Amino acid sequence: AAAAKMAALSGSGAPWRRGWLPALQFVRRGSKAVTRHWKAMHFQRQKLMAVTEYLAPRPAVPPRCLPPRKETLEEDNGYVRLLRRQVEEVFRDNRMIAICQYNSMPGEDMVMLRHYLRKHNIEVKFVLNEIVRPVLSQSKYKNLLPLFVARNILLVSREAKAKEMLRVLKGVPQINLLGACIHDTILSRQGVENFAKLPSLEAAQGQTVGALALLPSQTSSLLQRGSAHLTALLDQHIRRLQAGETGSPAEPAPAQSSGAH
Amino acid sequence: RPRSEPPLCPPGPGGVVVPRAGLKKYVMPPDYSGIVFPEKTKLKFMDKVPAVPKVRREPRQLRDIRGPSREATDFTQGQYGILALGGGYLHWGHFEMIRLTIGRNMDTKTMFAIWRVPAPSKPVTRKSLGHRMGGGKGPIDHYVTAVKSGRLVVEVGGRCEFGEVKPFLTQVAKKLPFPAVAISRDGLQQMRQEEEEKRLNNQNPWTFERVVTANMLGMRKYLSPYDLRLKGRYWGKFFLKHRV
Repeated sequence: AAAAKMAALSGSGAPWRRGWLPALQFVRRGSKAVTRHWKAMHFQRQKLMAVTEYLAPRPAVPPRCLPPRKETLEEDNGYVRLLRRQVEEVFRDNRMIAICQYNSMPGEDMVMLRHYLRKHNIEVKFVLNEIVRPVLSQSKYKNLLPLFVARNILLVSREAKAKEMLRVLKGVPQINLLGACIHDTILSRQGVENFAKLPSLEAAQGQTVGALALLPSQTSSLLQRGSAHLTALLDQHIRRLQAGETGSPAEPAPAQSSGAH
Repeated sequence: RPRSEPPLCPPGPGGVVVPRAGLKKYVMPPDYSGIVFPEKTKLKFMDKVPAVPKVRREPRQLRDIRGPSREATDFTQGQYGILALGGGYLHWGHFEMIRLTIGRNMDTKTMFAIWRVPAPSKPVTRKSLGHRMGGGKGPIDHYVTAVKSGRLVVEVGGRCEFGEVKPFLTQVAKKLPFPAVAISRDGLQQMRQEEEEKRLNNQNPWTFERVVTANMLGMRKYLSPYDLRLKGRYWGKFFLKHRV
């Protein structure tokens, strides 16, 4: 092949003789297409490979300068759903829900606390903030959200026994009351104390009934005041007459007084 | 990186944030429901010479190494496998190495392995040592199987994780005559996805494919007609992974 080329070049006139196809000449020289070693590429091919290389996209703002986008796990496993349902039930069923800060307590103290509170029908519930916060934010208890920060426990009960709860909690320094939601009313610590000082429902009802019934109870005495006054005056008069006339017969005087009625 | 406090409590003095434990996320155990074990879990013994040895000596036909593979590119029964990233010939020594290494390292009760390449059937001739050129074609020396890039060599499956299988699969992959990797089904899908994304978000307006199909600047004079199909990703038996 090389000899043919040399002959063509050294021949007379132009080196491109008729019938000499350059493509065939390229095929005869060198190795086959598939080789064990890395076959050297033609320079034009090398240039083509260099030109057609991959260029990665370069956005105007590099992604590391942007705030990191958190890939939220949308798995929502059944355990989380169960816990959320439990929290919703707690908020629905109980009348009084008190949120307390919980500092670590010794185990036996915790058991004793639970026991005392159980006697007053108050339950102690441990909740995880990451579950309670979404539940609350979608319910009507949005204003309780700032309380669910750091470790806390819930004291829940059906009746609102704030006085007993405060008494028990006073004896436990590790639990601090943050706030409460009693009968769908959000109260602060002060509000809970005030609520505890209030008389019980029956007493309050009795007081209200008494206050309302005060005026009607006076009505009958008001109406009878005139005749009662007269009766009293007459009685007094009779007694004076009796005291004055000890010897005279008492018949006409009582007859007179009974006739006067 | 430690999980930092969600933005409920601002960091304390000195920017110190005490990480707390949140809800324990229980990981579901993997689901091995759709797995069918073959009768023999170990790899079959491959013959050195086919049952009917070939009489006629075959031409070399190196095109069975060139370019992408058309068969055995996807997983069938197993979940993990060895993917060839280049072309080459596997002879009986390679087969034995694969069979013994995998057989030694896998647990026959929980895993199975299957061949994705046929037994050696292509005859390779060799002339005896020390002779000059000429004197006809040499006699058949041994048999090989041709493997193109993108083909699975073996598949492993069963009640196992990729982490258990990967060490010995990579050990095997390193010993093969062509570059190979151990991958899983997800890994293969991800690889293909990444290739596709790369192809789509390439900022270079000039691609090999475009230049070749339009024969820009007469480049086809320096390229092979097979480059229309290979599109610059293959050169000889090599697979150029970094190209477009």
